[in-house]
Amino acid sequence: MIKIIKVTGESLSPFFLSGDYVIVGKFPLKLGGINVGDIIVFPHPKFGLLIKKVQSVNIKTHHFFVEGSHPNSLTSDQIGPINLSTIFGKVLFHIKKPSRLS
Amino acid sequence: MFYKLIQSVDNYFSIPEAKAHCDIPCGIYDPAPAQIDALTVVRMMDLMIALDQGEDKEKLEYHNSLSRYITIKEEHAEKAKHEIRVIWGDYIKDPHVEKHPELPGLVHKIMQLGSKCRQTSDREQGLKFVEAINQFAEIFWDTKNVKTKKAKAPYAPGLEMVYPDL
Repeated sequence: MIKIIKVTGESLSPFFLSGDYVIVGKFPLKLGGINVGDIIVFPHPKFGLLIKKVQSVNIKTHHFFVEGSHPNSLTSDQIGPINLSTIFGKVLFHIKKPSRLS
Repeated sequence: MFYKLIQSVDNYFSIPEAKAHCDIPCGIYDPAPAQIDALTVVRMMDLMIALDQGEDKEKLEYHNSLSRYITIKEEHAEKAKHEIRVIWGDYIKDPHVEKHPELPGLVHKIMQLGSKCRQTSDREQGLKFVEAINQFAEIFWDTKNVKTKKAKAPYAPGLEMVYPDL
């Protein structure tokens, strides 16, 4: 039900950076607890396992539309609608890579 | 501490990766080109001053060299402004500005100094241009949690520059 996932890539920068870890839970999905702004992890047939921010939700079709926070992120149109049943989980906890500044 | 613990687990068991994927290879931002452009501006000003102190100002060669120096100065001042605008527009986000509230003012200052360097041959303006872009570089690397160091550029005009301490 709960898994640890490593973030790669920069499309959710500066909030999630490459090398960060996230703890992802599937149980919020059953509770209907995914809202706009949540970060979710899901498999994509073309791009593999992705982590993105929920941009909008179609309640009737149970489809989610996602985006990154970076201007060069894949767009919602490129990714397409995400079916609730395919979502791997919602990010519950964020473990940031420690700052290299000291 | 917690991060290191998870990292150790990752090293042994390979934690699955989720891609925060981009449609182009993004994340490649670096203030170094702007810093080199600003240095070039000062270098051209130095060459213009040296030329002006020489003789044979009526010769065709003088005018040819002067016009070349001015052209390069113009181009690189504008290129530096462009490089800073790209980082400012595409990379810098609200949290960066919240952490470095001086950033918007600094970017505006760089734009104005760049224009000043094009309008005049005033070396003082060139030095301020380099200094402002170095400040920008310092902030940029801080947003990446990368330490910086200061060292003199290994070429003329040999000004002190900010480099990432990798």
